[in-house]
Amino acid sequence: MQWLTPTIALYAASVAIPLLLLMYFLKLKRQQHFVSSTLLWKRAVQDLQVNAPFQKIRRNILLLLQMLAILAVLLALAGPLLSLNTTTADRHVLLIDRSASMKTIENQTTRLELAKKQARNYIESLRSRDVFTFQDTSDQAMIITFDNQAKVMCNFTSDKRQLLAAIDSITPTDAGSSIAQAVTVARAFAQSPGEDNVNLSVSNPAQLVLFSDGQISDAEKITIGPDEMIFNCLGTSADNFALTAMQARRSYENPDELNIFATVANFSDSARTIDIQLALNDQVRAVKSVTVDPLRQDPAIGSDLPGKVSVSFTLNGVESGLLEVRQLKKDSLSADDAAWAVVSPPKRITALLVTKGNPPLETALSSCPLAALDTCLPGEFNAKFNLNSNSGTNDNSNDDSNTDSDDNTYTNSNLNQTDSLPKNYDIIILDKYVPENLPRARYLVFGRPPSDLGVTADELIKNQFIADWRPQHPVLKYVNLNNVFATDSLKYTLPRDAEILAEFNEAPAIVLLRRHGSVFLLVGFDVMESNWPFEPSFVLFCYNAVNFLALEYNQDQQYNLPVSKPVTIENLPPETIARISVPNLPEQEIIIGDSGVLRYSATERAGIYVVEIPDQPPRYFAVNLLNENESNINPQKELTFTGLTLQARDESLSLANLPLWPYLVAFALFIAVLEWLVYIKKVRL
Amino acid sequence: MANSTAKTQPRITDLLDPGFMARLDALDLLSRKILQGKLQGQRRSKRRGQSVEFADHRPYVVGDDLRFVDWNIYGRLEQLFLKLFLEEQDLTVHIVMDVSASMDPPASPSSPLFSGKTKDQPADKISSNSKAVFVKKLTAALGYVSLVNNNRVTISSFSSGVQRQLPNMRGRNYLAQMAEFLVTEKFERPTNFDQTCRQLAAGRIGSGIIIILSDFFFKEGYDSGLRRMISPKYDIYAIQILSPDELNPKLTGDLQLLDVEDDDTAEITASSALLKYYQKNLAAYCNELKDFCTRRGATYVLANSAEPVETLVLNYLRLIRLIH
Repeated sequence: MQWLTPTIALYAASVAIPLLLLMYFLKLKRQQHFVSSTLLWKRAVQDLQVNAPFQKIRRNILLLLQMLAILAVLLALAGPLLSLNTTTADRHVLLIDRSASMKTIENQTTRLELAKKQARNYIESLRSRDVFTFQDTSDQAMIITFDNQAKVMCNFTSDKRQLLAAIDSITPTDAGSSIAQAVTVARAFAQSPGEDNVNLSVSNPAQLVLFSDGQISDAEKITIGPDEMIFNCLGTSADNFALTAMQARRSYENPDELNIFATVANFSDSARTIDIQLALNDQVRAVKSVTVDPLRQDPAIGSDLPGKVSVSFTLNGVESGLLEVRQLKKDSLSADDAAWAVVSPPKRITALLVTKGNPPLETALSSCPLAALDTCLPGEFNAKFNLNSNSGTNDNSNDDSNTDSDDNTYTNSNLNQTDSLPKNYDIIILDKYVPENLPRARYLVFGRPPSDLGVTADELIKNQFIADWRPQHPVLKYVNLNNVFATDSLKYTLPRDAEILAEFNEAPAIVLLRRHGSVFLLVGFDVMESNWPFEPSFVLFCYNAVNFLALEYNQDQQYNLPVSKPVTIENLPPETIARISVPNLPEQEIIIGDSGVLRYSATERAGIYVVEIPDQPPRYFAVNLLNENESNINPQKELTFTGLTLQARDESLSLANLPLWPYLVAFALFIAVLEWLVYIKKVRL
Repeated sequence: MANSTAKTQPRITDLLDPGFMARLDALDLLSRKILQGKLQGQRRSKRRGQSVEFADHRPYVVGDDLRFVDWNIYGRLEQLFLKLFLEEQDLTVHIVMDVSASMDPPASPSSPLFSGKTKDQPADKISSNSKAVFVKKLTAALGYVSLVNNNRVTISSFSSGVQRQLPNMRGRNYLAQMAEFLVTEKFERPTNFDQTCRQLAAGRIGSGIIIILSDFFFKEGYDSGLRRMISPKYDIYAIQILSPDELNPKLTGDLQLLDVEDDDTAEITASSALLKYYQKNLAAYCNELKDFCTRRGATYVLANSAEPVETLVLNYLRLIRLIH
């Protein structure tokens, strides 16, 4: 039991109770009435007093009732709360897990719905503003939902309707769960007083309340104070059969042969036989039955490991399509029962080298797995792409336009040609040549960069060594630039969005830059003016660069995404409307900006996303969960943070902090009515 | 002048309705005892005397009045026998009316009859349910019956003692005097019933009927007073007159009850329980009085002042054979 406004009640009591007693014990001014004789009346009064049970109390029953009624009103004034919550915090942050595992069905509802129900109970149990005082004594709460990203649904407020609406608007996703970001956001918001807070100090610690099934991948990476968080664990189901890995690859020797690999995991306590179905374009092509071992304890890591079986399928003569691998055994979580893959036609890279002659480069490129490598002189470039007729116009427009801005050089005048260009060449290598007009394509540029990229390279610097590079980047994978030396190199001044892959002492050496739907890999020096051609890293660089530009940006990897990774399509005509079909959701429309890049980040659900752009064939994206941590739906009653193990609450949350004043007022009214009845009975003739 | 005097002169019709009086003409008071009166009247007496009603014979002794010798017996038996006759004597009726203040309590401030006057200044209006009116009317009716039947009527009013008395009236001629006596009677003083009875008993002569009209609310008790009045020569009728406010009080709220006679007060909260106890006590009080009277050969009658006097006289008093 808590009291919101005890002092007000005390003040009122100090006035009301003595007043009542005073008024009660003041001599009653009785109305005079003449009678023939008081003889019988006195006898009647004596008889009444003698025969009445509990005479003292009976005499004062009205006083007692009045005292009771006043007491009830005074207690109501004190603002009592039926407090079942042990927390005394007045600021609360509700962290609600909405990851894939929260979609587990528990008694015909999902864990997320259970979490939302408990969160609603928690919100409704918060102390409201007391009606009898001007002082704001209400609790404030904030709602954050998280999967692998945190999303603030509602900032600190005491408006329960707003908070409940925020809870109701939480939808499940198929993403993994990561609490670190959510806790960081919660702490950041907890430092600010909140939007409608006027009284609470920021020093009041906010109580974090977590609603989750405990399957959180990064709990060990964050630190939680001893009483900072309350953990409400949801769910009891544990049986789940999931696809935890899936990949479709074309055979290296035979591109027409498609190999599909999948891993099935069993999270139940007993071995199960599971049917795995493979479908291509919604047509079942194969079904395999596998027996998967049960969940077992791994003594080495001290945790449970599911039984796993790998399944492989081989399809021949598949040009393109949508693959679906599905396990057919019914279980509690359906989000991980299927995985999808987009199969693209076998890709053959064609490249165009524009050079006056560069034997090392030609040799290096010829060693790359290219279907075709065309070479042309710089003078032939415009003619090859029929750019002469437009060049004059574009030159004029370029003169007036800011090269750093998203001008129309690539967007309007070359639009028709750009459509046909990528079909011809996946990559264009410019060796010390800067064409006046560039079709939209992927470029590997040696020497001076194109003029309107926002890169200035007016100054030459001498005798530079590569000082640092990013060996993790796909372009520089296995590339050792330790001994690369350039006698003459360009000193790049780069725009902010340029990605520097390697650096000289004084200037960037290799830069990745995206402009107007094109991708430029800029090498700031002439390879002929360096020792690089004599280094093995040159060939590797060329190989990586060609593969990166042609494949990484264009191939299956970008069509097969994990959950929450954005769908990105480049080289699109600007100002067009793309329509995106999302699994289990209505179709959405997105307007492509001037950059010609479509980026759709709401890939929160596993399934096939279809992007339709006018005058272009539809593009398919397979978004998969494939997360073993999320598929393990066994609820964890214990969360291990850094240096702290947090036990889940034993009982689910029920309504608390119930304000009792309405009941007390009702009781006071009841007593008042009772008193009236007693009085009427007493004086009735 | 004569007219104005006649108008102001109280008349018996001020108290009794002519129709009622016509019905009373046919009635007479009846004593259960054959009582001896002073004058020769219209009823039998134990005393043998000159009358038309034969009683007995006895042998002649010297000195007897020869007029009463039964000559027929002498003719047959040749012995002198004297005829004895029952003497018809008049009936002494003594009506004792209570004129204490309790018989006419003033209206309470909350009453619609209240005129702003206090107990000492009685209200101008008197309720038709008032015991005072009732006792006057009843006295008038009984007196009327007695007078028209040539009974000897004495009317006494008492409060702290005998206040006024109209003694030995006989015949219709006294109706006007009785009316004046009754109309001018004031109900003011406290009661002293014992003192009253002592005075009445001392002045009592002969035999007859004593009718006591009162509410019998005497704080000192009615026992000793009534004991003084009880006598073999007298037929005692105790008529207790209570108003509806006393029989079924309609009180609400917290009240201070003021006794009109002795300024005694009783503070009550009028509740249903209290009223039940009041009525229970009233019934017990009346029963005690009735038992007291019955045990001593007296007759007790309870009258509600709200009821018409006619009903009481013509029905109830005939029933108990006070009037026939």
